[in-house]
Amino acid sequence: MAGRFRAFSFVDRITRLEPGQRIEGQYTVPATTTRFPESLMAEAVGQLAAWAAMSHVSFTHRPVAGLAGETRYRGSVAPGQTLNLEADIERCDEEAIAYGGRASIDGRCVLELTHCVGPMLPMEEFDAPDAVRADFETLRGPGAPPGRFAGVAAPFVKLIEHVAGEKVRAELRVPAEAPFFGDHFPRRPVFPGTLLMDSLSTLALQLAREAPSLQGAELAPSKVTDVKIRSFTSPGQTLELLVDLQSATAEAAQLKLAARADGKGVATARIEIARRQ
Amino acid sequence: MQQQAISKEEINAVFPKVAQIIADALGCDVEDVKPQVPLIEGLDAESIDFLDLVFRLERGFGVKIPRGKIIEDARGDLAEADFEQKGILTDAGLARLREFLSEVSPDRFKSPMKAADIPRLFTPETFCKTVIRAQRAAQASA
Repeated sequence: MAGRFRAFSFVDRITRLEPGQRIEGQYTVPATTTRFPESLMAEAVGQLAAWAAMSHVSFTHRPVAGLAGETRYRGSVAPGQTLNLEADIERCDEEAIAYGGRASIDGRCVLELTHCVGPMLPMEEFDAPDAVRADFETLRGPGAPPGRFAGVAAPFVKLIEHVAGEKVRAELRVPAEAPFFGDHFPRRPVFPGTLLMDSLSTLALQLAREAPSLQGAELAPSKVTDVKIRSFTSPGQTLELLVDLQSATAEAAQLKLAARADGKGVATARIEIARRQ
Repeated sequence: MQQQAISKEEINAVFPKVAQIIADALGCDVEDVKPQVPLIEGLDAESIDFLDLVFRLERGFGVKIPRGKIIEDARGDLAEADFEQKGILTDAGLARLREFLSEVSPDRFKSPMKAADIPRLFTPETFCKTVIRAQRAAQASA
């Protein structure tokens, strides 16, 4: 399928693997990329952990987005830079993987993930096990061809309700077709949870800028906690996004994030937007 | 193996922390987490929440809770085929479950009962007992 192992793959090489315990790898953001949402750094660490999990269960199951206890953003990545990725596997079996991890650039940590859990589902539903095994061997050996990621367009988000500095309700129209659906996942296209979080974070950033104590400040997401992806989002689906500002100080704002489809919860999280250090 | 009964005092001792962990996992108010409220029907818990809950309890209490532990403990020394057949609990299985989940109101045990529906019975007290058993297991192996 077009896009497979390129359109939404964020590990170029696995440099070290201690089965069931630890994995290290690298990803270089293509120099030509014009938009690389920071949530994709978390995607890269998650995908690295997923490789550890899939190989640990002989590619019978794969993890899918589930829970991320805490994601701390400590920096950003620019096109052409290489992320050094690592993940410590706390537990892995055919039910779930639990892990933490980080991404760094030249020894400087830019992202930390803790208390993440990915439910494991049968691989056959999402991809061809033999093809995934072959990709793993490529990553363990010569590495994947560089520059595979061709970017991802910002999804269409329409504001429905906006109370400045308090709350936002918006509609996210997931595209019916996009290259990343060919990779995420080849047999069952699912809108990536990290792209959903990117849309919610963007709304949260706009709302935080309206808080009187933070107006005029240069702000960025600093921490995302209690991310819980409850259900799959399919191509063409429309989601309702809800962002509520809970509190704001002179340093940071705390906001609640939620996504719903047909009134049913799809995802929830909390985010801290802080003055950029 | 016969397990030592769990006292009300032991449950009361862990309940506040278990309730707070459940509230954090479900995003609800801790005041809503009553000992006998069904987590699915009463607090809208879903399967991902149970996964979340087990990992939070493990971290919060420093114990290991193997997957499927509650049902495995409920089955006890009963052979799997004597506990359930084709996904439906046998009479012996249902009786064993009713005895094991003594905190659950008897009228919530319907016959026939699908094994997949067992989590519908779980309450905060069920998880208090799970934590206590895990603590005992950790002490026994220390």
